[in-house]
Amino acid sequence: MRSLSSRLLVSVSVLLLLFFGATIAVLDTAFSEAGEQARRDILDGHLVALLAAAEPDDDGNLMLPARLREPRFENIGSGLYAELLDADNAVLWRSRSALGLEIPSGVAPELGNHLFARESLEDGTPLLTLSLAVEWEFDDGKLQSYVFKVAESLDSFNAQVAGFRRQLFGWFALVALTMLLAFSMLLRGLLKPLRKIETEITEIEEGKRVALSGAFPTELTGVARNMNLLIDSERARSDRYRYTLDNLAHSLKTPLAAMRALLNDRQTEGFGGRFNEQIDRMDEIVRYQLRKPAASVADNLVLKPVNVEAEVTRLVDGLRKVYHDKDPVFDVRVERGMQFRGDTGDFLELAGNLLDNACKWCVKKVRISIVPSVGARAIASGMVLTVADDGPGIPQDAADALLQRGMRLDESTPGHGIGLAVVKDIARSYGGRLSIRRSSDLGGAEITVSIPPVASSRTQ
Amino acid sequence: MRLLVIEDDATLRESLARKLGESGFAVEQAADGKEGLYFALEYPIDLAIIDLGLPEVSGLEIIRQVREQGRSYPILILTARDRWEDKVDGLSAGADDYVVKPFHFEEVSARVNALLRRSGGWASSVLIAGPVSLDMSRQELTVNEGAIDLTSFEYKIIEYLMVRAGQVISKAELTDRLYDQDFERDSNVIEVFIGRLRKKMDPENTIKPIETLRGRGYRFALERNQSG
Repeated sequence: MRSLSSRLLVSVSVLLLLFFGATIAVLDTAFSEAGEQARRDILDGHLVALLAAAEPDDDGNLMLPARLREPRFENIGSGLYAELLDADNAVLWRSRSALGLEIPSGVAPELGNHLFARESLEDGTPLLTLSLAVEWEFDDGKLQSYVFKVAESLDSFNAQVAGFRRQLFGWFALVALTMLLAFSMLLRGLLKPLRKIETEITEIEEGKRVALSGAFPTELTGVARNMNLLIDSERARSDRYRYTLDNLAHSLKTPLAAMRALLNDRQTEGFGGRFNEQIDRMDEIVRYQLRKPAASVADNLVLKPVNVEAEVTRLVDGLRKVYHDKDPVFDVRVERGMQFRGDTGDFLELAGNLLDNACKWCVKKVRISIVPSVGARAIASGMVLTVADDGPGIPQDAADALLQRGMRLDESTPGHGIGLAVVKDIARSYGGRLSIRRSSDLGGAEITVSIPPVASSRTQ
Repeated sequence: MRLLVIEDDATLRESLARKLGESGFAVEQAADGKEGLYFALEYPIDLAIIDLGLPEVSGLEIIRQVREQGRSYPILILTARDRWEDKVDGLSAGADDYVVKPFHFEEVSARVNALLRRSGGWASSVLIAGPVSLDMSRQELTVNEGAIDLTSFEYKIIEYLMVRAGQVISKAELTDRLYDQDFERDSNVIEVFIGRLRKKMDPENTIKPIETLRGRGYRFALERNQSG
C-alpha cells in the first residue's frame, strides 16, 4: 500500500461497501416487512370470507359450503389453504387445495384472538398461517368453540423478495463500480503533477534537466521550490568541494616543489629556515582551505538557528583565557534572543576570527555587537556583526585590496592572517558583505559583517 | 615542574617530551586517552598538554574529567583542527590555551611558560621580587642586576619556588615535581641544592630569598613586585 492512489481507492471502496451495504440492508428489511404486512392483510381477508361462508349443517355442526368463492381454495396445491378445527384441534373441514397435505396444527389461539404464525409443510414449504378461535352460537343457543385457520405458502413471496434483492445488489454494484471508475480517473488527473515531479527528478538525475519546472498546482509549488533549493545547494556544495580540493592540491604543489629543490641543495645557507618556511606555507594553505564555509545560503532548508548570545559568551570566555596576560576589556552587545540561521561552526568562525584579531591588535578594548539587520525580525533574521578594537587599525590600502580584488592567500593582510580571508569567504557564502573601517570611538579597526535575512520558502 | 604530554603520534610526542625535558621540565608521556586520563588524575602534575584527537578517551573528555575532579592545573590543547568550533569546545571544557598543529616548538614552550607563571599568579614572564628577577623565557636569574650562574637543577628549584612565591612547598612536592620518575628520590639532595642556591643568590645572607619552615618545607619569601 505504498501508492497514494491505491490507498485512496481502497479506502473509498471500503466506504462504498459500508454505505451501500447499510442501504441494501435497510431497503431489504423495509421491502420484506411491507410484503409480509400485505400478506397478513390478505390472509385476514380470506379468514373473514371463510367466517361469512360458514353455516351450520343439518346435524347442528358448523360446515363450510362445498365451493368457496375464492378459486385458489379449490385448486389443489394452489398455495392457499383453509381449515376448520374444533376445540380439540381435530380437523372438521379442509379446503380442496389442501388435499393430500398435512398442515401443521400449530398452537391454537386464545378464544376470540387472531394468531399469525410461520409454519411449514412436510416438504419444507414455508407457510404463513392465521388462526382465529371463535365461539359459535347456534340457533338453538348451543355454544361451540372452533378454530378457523388459513395458510398461504410463502414460496412466491420469498421468490419475490429474492428477486428484489438480486435487483438491489445488481444496481448498487453497478453504481459502485461506476463511482470507483470515475474516482480513479479523477485521481489520475489529480496525481498527475506528482508524477510530473517524479519524471522531472528522473530527468534531473539523468542530466536532461537542471531544475524542476515551475508549472505545478499551488499546493506543490512549495515542494517544487524547496526541491530546487535542495538541488541547488547540493550542486553548489559539490562544486565547492571539488573547487576546494582542486585548489588545495594545486596550491600545495608549489611549496612541495620548493621543498624538493631545497632538499637537492642541502648546503644552501639557511636551509632549515627556508625549509620551515615552505612547511608554514603548506600549513597555511591547508588551514585556509579547511576553514572555508560549511554552509551556504542555499542550505537554509537544513540549518538550525544558532543561539548567538550563548556562542558569543563561550567565545569571549575562551578568549579571556587565551589572552589572559593582555586581559582585554570586552564590550559585548548582543541583541537578546538573537539567532543566526546558519551553521554553528560558520558563526564561530566569523565571530572567532574577528574577535581573535581584535584581541591580538587591541591595546585594551574590544567591542562586539550583533544586531538583526534593519527591518528584519529577530528570529532567523539577517545579522549585522561588528567587531572593533582600539589598536592601530588596518591600513586603507590593505583593506581595499582585501575587499576589492578578492582574497588570495599570498595577498592576505599582513598580521590579520588568514582569519579575515576566511571571514570574507563565509560572509559571501551567506550572501553577506564584509566592510572594514576605522572605529570612530575606539580608534582601531572596525570590521562589519552583514548577513541578509534568509529568504523563507514560504514568503518568497 | 612536572608536565604531562598526552599525544598519540609517537614522533610528535617524543620530540615534544625531549625538547621540554631539555628546557628543564620533568615530563610524563601518555600515548592514548585512557593512560593519559590516569596520569592526569593520579600524578602530581603542574601542567598538561593534551591532544584533542586521541584514541580511547577523547582529549575533551579528559579535560572535562580533570576539571570535574577538581584539578586546577593549566591545560594546553593541541589541535589539528583549526576551526573555532573545536577551539571553543576545548576552552569551554576547561582548557586554558591552544596550539594548532603543526606548530613550532618555541610556540608550545612559550605558551607552557606563560600558563605556568599565570597559574602562580604572575602576569609577565619576568618574575621580579625585590632584587631578584627571573626571566622564564631565557631561564636567567639575576640578583641586583647581576646574572647568577645556575645548574639546570638549581634553576628548576628556584623557578618552582618563585612561580609559587609566598606558598610553602614541601620537600616531597619538590622531589615529586622536579625529578624524572626514574630518578633516585632522596630528600637530602633537595637540602643540598637549596643550600647552594642560597649561597649563589645571597652570599652575604642579607636578602634571604628562601625561607625554611621546619617540618613543612620551603618558601620564596621576597615580596612580589608585580602580580597578575
